[in-house]
Amino acid sequence: METPLLRRSLLATATLAWMSQPVSRPHAATAAARSLTFSWPVNAGPLDPHGYSPNQMYAQSMLYEPLVRYVEGGGIQPALATTWRQEGRDWVFTLRQGVRFSDGTPFDAAAVVANIRAVLARRQNHAWLDLVAQIEDAEVVDAGTVRLRLAHAYYPALPELALIRPLRFASPAVLRPEGGVSAPVGTGPWVLAETVWGDRDVFTRNPLYWGEAPALERVVVKVVADANTRALALETGEIDLAYGTDQLDGDTFRRFATDPRFTTAISSPLATRMLAVNSGRSPTAELAVRQAIQHGVDRDALVRHVLLGAEPAAQTLFAPNFPYTDVGLPPFGFDRARAAALLEEAGWVRSGQRGGSRRKQGQELAFDLCFVGSDALQKALAEAIQGDLARIGMAVRLLGEDAATFYGRQRSGEFGMIFADTWGAPYDPHAFLGSMRQPAHADYQAQRGLPMKAEIDRRIGAVLVSTEEELRAAEYRWLLTTLHEQAVYLPVSFLTNKLVYRKGFGTVPFGDTRYEIPFAQMRRG
Amino acid sequence: MLGFAVRRLLTLVPLLLIVSLVFFLMLRLGRGDPALDYLRLSQLPPTDAAVALARQQLGLDQPLAAQYLNWLSGAVRLDLGRSWSTGRPVMEEVLHFLPASLQLAGAALLLVMLVGLPLGLLAALYRDRWPDHLTRAIAFLGVSLPNFWLGFLLVLLFSVQLGWLPAMGRDGPASIIMPAVATATMSGCVTLRLMRSSVLGVLGERHLVFARARGLPRRTILGRHVVLNAMIPPLTALGLHVGELLGGAMVVEMVFAWPGLGRYALLAITNRDFPVLQGFVLVMTLVFVLCNLVVDLAYAWVDPRIRFGTRAA
Repeated sequence: METPLLRRSLLATATLAWMSQPVSRPHAATAAARSLTFSWPVNAGPLDPHGYSPNQMYAQSMLYEPLVRYVEGGGIQPALATTWRQEGRDWVFTLRQGVRFSDGTPFDAAAVVANIRAVLARRQNHAWLDLVAQIEDAEVVDAGTVRLRLAHAYYPALPELALIRPLRFASPAVLRPEGGVSAPVGTGPWVLAETVWGDRDVFTRNPLYWGEAPALERVVVKVVADANTRALALETGEIDLAYGTDQLDGDTFRRFATDPRFTTAISSPLATRMLAVNSGRSPTAELAVRQAIQHGVDRDALVRHVLLGAEPAAQTLFAPNFPYTDVGLPPFGFDRARAAALLEEAGWVRSGQRGGSRRKQGQELAFDLCFVGSDALQKALAEAIQGDLARIGMAVRLLGEDAATFYGRQRSGEFGMIFADTWGAPYDPHAFLGSMRQPAHADYQAQRGLPMKAEIDRRIGAVLVSTEEELRAAEYRWLLTTLHEQAVYLPVSFLTNKLVYRKGFGTVPFGDTRYEIPFAQMRRG
Repeated sequence: MLGFAVRRLLTLVPLLLIVSLVFFLMLRLGRGDPALDYLRLSQLPPTDAAVALARQQLGLDQPLAAQYLNWLSGAVRLDLGRSWSTGRPVMEEVLHFLPASLQLAGAALLLVMLVGLPLGLLAALYRDRWPDHLTRAIAFLGVSLPNFWLGFLLVLLFSVQLGWLPAMGRDGPASIIMPAVATATMSGCVTLRLMRSSVLGVLGERHLVFARARGLPRRTILGRHVVLNAMIPPLTALGLHVGELLGGAMVVEMVFAWPGLGRYALLAITNRDFPVLQGFVLVMTLVFVLCNLVVDLAYAWVDPRIRFGTRAA
């Protein structure tokens, strides 16, 4: 009997000892290795610079570089091109010397032309981007110079060349004739070293990078789909950083902001969180109703109580830190009395009982507010807006539906109000305005009842190919002022990137656009 | 018993066919357009041209019958198509993620049996005394806690506060402990209560009096005459628990970033990735039926009446 007893006791002791051992903490291990562990909901994908989903934009921007780089405020800086000039409708770029792809292939005019032609060969995939439609061809002038032939003198060519996709460059050796790449090979500061499907992607420094080498040696990106799991992993040190618009919910971000062990920061505005108001359907077809909505919603309270202060309140369609958007538009301001007066003047009067909705010629002042049912933040905002508008006599019906139905409503115009964020830098304002001419957009549907819709579309078309700076600025002023006065958008807040990392980790700057994460500029210690 | 197993396996063919057809129709006839989801994932504006192109690329422009037959002709060759969101073969992805899910569900099932059955026996043997009250309280709590919430509580305690276990991932044996506990708790508690009532039922039977009268030792009476007989109802329920554990693992996998089939399927639901969902349902049906077959065989092994009944039939 003694042997089994002894064996059992030893087993129990060993188990207890194993249970009480702290597991190895990745945080400590990675700190020594000058590595950073980040998380993302899915794997990085095949990393085709000209492809969309499942390629993840943050990872595409780590490997592939543009000819020119967009910086906050709309400025353009050299990247793979050192200088550029416009010659009539064409753009001519002088390429950076001595740049090589991570497979050793030289980056030259032939490589640029091969990539641009690969994009043009599948033009229909990129129909959303005006620049691709404008480019007729790319030509080699000499090994270090390339010419882009455009159909028109398209002024936003430079910000659109700066986009993460599709106009970045993979080694011609990996471009496949049928589209896509056989391996992810770019000129950027990182290379993809390893992908473990469903678990992680590992990026390491590109030893052939032409610029300053990143301070970090490795970036490990773990696949974490759940925001709560991400928050807990940040606390345990299993990931070092949360970065993005919605990596953490507002409540969790606020908790980290008050936790002395962590550093948190909020970027400057990157896009606008807003609702489109339908001018093509009753009762929001009336200007007075749309303007009353603007006065009736307390944006500051929404920001304080629903967004928990993580985003600044927005009074205009675009933040003033975007090109051509600082035109000094007067905010509508929260003023219930003014909203009520506007409605009274327009003939919308309260029915008998106190607190009831208004009516005009038997019609109730009621409309649908549409949101994605599974989006808790949209739901909370929608409920708060419903409450605010009820106070001025509007009956708002909340329609929370699945994402596909929601986007179907944006396309068909079956909404009174609907959430529709702007695209953010570097798309705002030009590409976002350009999309307002497409009937498949919530913006088009929201504007279709405006008496000056045809004029708006004409001016948007003109501004995109205008070559005179002053004229362009004047056109933007007219467009933004008209849309503001017509109150077809209810801006709520400016979307920001938020970051959280453990104190003492080092330096973590913000990228210039919403989807770029500047790992190359991050450093430990 | 072999004939029984073969017959059960043969019924799989029509079952899989019916399940695949019903599920195919459910997905296709539901609301929403996967082409729009595809464009949303790509952060592309859903222009009419883009939607039409996406529908064509995803094969959604073909008639429903053609879509199903295309899929079926691939499926019989073990080709479940390509995922719309990752572009990779579904079969390859399913086979990549399935082992992690089976590992988690298997560990959870082991926990259910190793903890639920003995605690149920203990509760019955100490009826209305403190071990019974304690296990009753545990069972009450266990069936009331949603598994994802329990998962977060475990992480808070064992990862954030104590730092003993990793909060997420699948790196080493320590990482399976919390996901397995979170997955197993509800089924374990149900099994515990079922075992308790089953043991109490057996304890009241007359053959035990005769066994004692024959002077059999207590250990033999408990082992051969009580436990073995009392195991039949919980064992039957275990077959159902396999489905519950695999289903429960879906949510738990999300909480613990466990790279399994459940998390893969949940993302596919969010992205309306039809080929993945069809493949997932097919594979899960297969796994579920096979697990139930194993349980039925075990059931026949435990209870000779069933074994003999099968032979007679």
